[in-house]
Amino acid sequence: MSSEHQQVTGNVNLFNNNHSFNNIVNFNLEAEAERRQILRWLSPLEPQQRHQGVRTNRLDGVGNWVLETNEFRKWSGAEDGCSEPVLFCDGNPGVGKTYLR
Amino acid sequence: MVDTLCNQARGKNIAVVGFYCDFLAQQEHSTTSMLGAILKQLVSRGEIPEHIRQTFQEAKKEFGGRGLRLPDLMEIMKKVVTTLPRVFICIDALDESTPKHRRELLGSLREIVRVSANTRLFLTGRPHIGDEIMKCFGKVVRILISPTREDIRSYLEMRLDNDTDPDIMDDELRADIMRVIPEKVSEM
Repeated sequence: MSSEHQQVTGNVNLFNNNHSFNNIVNFNLEAEAERRQILRWLSPLEPQQRHQGVRTNRLDGVGNWVLETNEFRKWSGAEDGCSEPVLFCDGNPGVGKTYLR
Repeated sequence: MVDTLCNQARGKNIAVVGFYCDFLAQQEHSTTSMLGAILKQLVSRGEIPEHIRQTFQEAKKEFGGRGLRLPDLMEIMKKVVTTLPRVFICIDALDESTPKHRRELLGSLREIVRVSANTRLFLTGRPHIGDEIMKCFGKVVRILISPTREDIRSYLEMRLDNDTDPDIMDDELRADIMRVIPEKVSEM
């Protein structure tokens, strides 16, 4: 095999590799774009943003007594169907319902 | 609450998702967009299930790309929650949604817990919506939130430490604040 031939073969291989690499990149980009479109179609709202704000302003320890109650423990830890599925925490405005940890 | 449940869920296949209702965003918080936000959190944990991709592609073909409607969303939601071993859905400040949205939302949530025994709901709101919730679900576990004296003391200390004008404060005034306010608040 001449060195020129080797050079050409090498370039072709390089080209092929690049080509399939590009295909994978394109495929991933398309899949990623579709994923974003689907999530946005499910809902335009982003509740995580509000959650970050709540997390930042929360004061450690306040309201933790709720997590120690039997009601909470039973509800959060119980096996399927062993407890009522709904836990409702009510209280007047400003008592800290949103900021329960 | 979301964070506590997330900590408990760490390392287990448990989904914890949540939503904050907001009086100021009542109009954009339609039942569909609120439930959609919950569904979005559930499916974005991993790869998007094929049945959702297909429904999306079909909706896209229709004129102008059809938005997701509540019955279709609920079909997807039921499929998703029944494939997950455990789901916690937390919804804050239900009283801040409109009565119409709240009725639809509660009805949809009831439907979800009916089809999935693995799903737990954590709801908060002012006491006056308690009846609506009881009527919707029959029995619920209820905890009345009211700050303990210790909670109020922690909060006051934080506020006093962050006071922008600390020179006006002296030890006596600080002691009075720390004594009187927790007493008065716990009498409320």
